[in-house]
Amino acid sequence: MHKRERTLYLLMLVILCSLTLAGVILEGPEDLLGKLLLLQTRGARLISDFTVHGVGLALLNVASVGFLGLVLVYFAAINLSGPTLATIMTMMGFSFFGNTLYNSTPVIIGVFLASKLAKVSFGSYSIIALFGTAIAPIVTYLSFEIGLAPMIGIPLGIVSGIGIGFILPAIAGTLLSLHQGYSLYNMGFACGFVGLFIASILNALGLLQPLAVLWSESSSLALTLVVPVMSLFFIITAFTLERPGEMLSGFLGVQGQIGRLPSDYYESESPSGTLLNIAVLGLIYWLYVLGVGAPINGPVLGGLLTIMGFGGFGKTVKNTIPIVLGVFLTTLLLGNSPASPSPILAALFSTTLAPLAGQFGFFIGILAGAIHVIVVDVTASWHGGLDLYNNGFAGGLTASLIISVIHWLSANRTREDFT
Amino acid sequence: MKRKEFLSRLIGEMTDFLLEGDPLRLVVSLHQEEDGAHLSFFDDQERTEREIEKIRTALNPKRNRPELAAYYGTMAGRDLNLGSRLKLIGWQIKQATVTNNNPGIHIDLWLGSDSFIVPKK
Repeated sequence: MHKRERTLYLLMLVILCSLTLAGVILEGPEDLLGKLLLLQTRGARLISDFTVHGVGLALLNVASVGFLGLVLVYFAAINLSGPTLATIMTMMGFSFFGNTLYNSTPVIIGVFLASKLAKVSFGSYSIIALFGTAIAPIVTYLSFEIGLAPMIGIPLGIVSGIGIGFILPAIAGTLLSLHQGYSLYNMGFACGFVGLFIASILNALGLLQPLAVLWSESSSLALTLVVPVMSLFFIITAFTLERPGEMLSGFLGVQGQIGRLPSDYYESESPSGTLLNIAVLGLIYWLYVLGVGAPINGPVLGGLLTIMGFGGFGKTVKNTIPIVLGVFLTTLLLGNSPASPSPILAALFSTTLAPLAGQFGFFIGILAGAIHVIVVDVTASWHGGLDLYNNGFAGGLTASLIISVIHWLSANRTREDFT
Repeated sequence: MKRKEFLSRLIGEMTDFLLEGDPLRLVVSLHQEEDGAHLSFFDDQERTEREIEKIRTALNPKRNRPELAAYYGTMAGRDLNLGSRLKLIGWQIKQATVTNNNPGIHIDLWLGSDSFIVPKK
C-alpha cells in the first residue's frame, strides 16, 4: 500500500474512532448496544433525523456504517482514494438520517452476488455496492414498518434488499450514460429509478404509508463541531503529506477541474490539495448553513459530509458555488425560507450538479440549481422516500435534461456536416 | 458476445478520439486470439512528442482501478477530455504502446486474460 493511501486510512480511522468516542461519551455507556439495536428498527425513509433519538446514538451509527465502508474498501482490494473516500463519507453522512448496518448490509450483499454472476471482482462493483445503500430504507420499511411479524418482516426486508442490490449494477451503468457523468450522485439516480417501481408496487398493495418529516430543530454543540473538527483533521493530514506550497498549488489545480465523473482529484491532482479542498468545502457550506439560520441536525450534517466526501471526486469550491447560488436565489424567488428542510437540503445536495457548472460555466450552473430545487421538491414522493439520495435522483433528471439540450444544440452545427 | 461488445466499444472509443484530430487517413487493425486480442490504430495527424507522451501516459495508468474501470468504463467514448477518456480505456486494457510515426501516430492496445502474453517489441 502506498504511503498516501496509508495516511488516508489513518485519517479515516482517527475520524471514525473520534466519532465513536464522542458517541459513547454523549450517550453514556448504559445499554449502548441495546439502543443501537433499537435504532436499526427505526424508520429510515426520508426524512428521518436519527439525532432526534439521541445525538450520541446517531454519532455511533455514523461511525459503525463508516467502519463498514472502510472495511469493504480494504477487503475489496481497491484504492482508498477520491471515489472511495466519497462513498465512505456519503454513507457516513446518510447514517445521520437513514443508513444503518442492518439496512445497508443486504444491499451490499446483493451487489456482491451480482458481481459473482457477472464473473467480475467485487472491487469492480464496489462503488455501486457502497453508494447503492441509498435504497437501504426499503429493508427497514419491509422489516419493521408495514405491520408484519418480525419472523416474516425481517427475512422479507433482507431478501428484498439483496434482490434490489442484485439488479443495481445493471441499472447504474445504463443511467450513467443518460446524464453522461454530469450528476455526481449517479447511484441516487439509479436508486430513485428502482424506488419508483418499488413504491408503485407497495402503493398497489396498499402498503405505502405517507411520508413524514422527522427534523430536529434543536442545536447541539457536538453536532455543530463535527464539520469544523473533521475539516481540521483533513488540513492537518494535508500538511503531513506535502509541503504548503505544493498543497496550495494542488488546491488551485483542483479548482480548475470540471469534476465530471469519474474525476479522482486525489490521483490526478495533488493529495494534499485535494484534502484541503475537502476541508475548505466543508467549512464554506457549514458557514452557509449557519448563515441562513438552519439547524445543524442529522440531515444537514449528511449534506455537509457528502459535499466533503465529493471534494476528492468531482466537487470544488469553484464548481459548486453557482449551483448553490441558483438554489438559494430560486428559493427566495419562490418566497420560501432557505433554512427550511427542503431548501437547505437542496442547497447542499444540489452540488451533485457541480460538473455542469465546471464544464459549461457560471450561468448554466445557476440554471441547473434553479431547476433542481423545483424538481427535488416533488421527487421524494415519487419513490416514497425510499431513495435516500433523493437529490441524486432529481439531479440525474436535471442533468439529463440540460445535457440533452446542450448536446442537441452542439450536434446540429452545419459546419460539421459533409453537405 | 461480451468480447464482441468490448472490442466494438474500444474500437469506437479510440477512433472517436483519433477522429477528433481530423485525420485524412485512419487505419484500424484487429488481430484476435483465443485468450486475447491486439488492436492497432494508425493515423496521419502530426503530433508533438509532448502530446504523444500524454497519450502514452494516459493509456498506461500506474495503478489498476477496477472500481472505476468497470463502472465508469462505459463513459469512455463520450465527449470526455483527452486524459480522462484515454485513462478510462487504459484501465480496461492490459497494455498500450504509442509510437510517433511522424506524421501520424501508431497505437497498439493489448487486451485479454492473464494468460495472454503481450509480445515484446
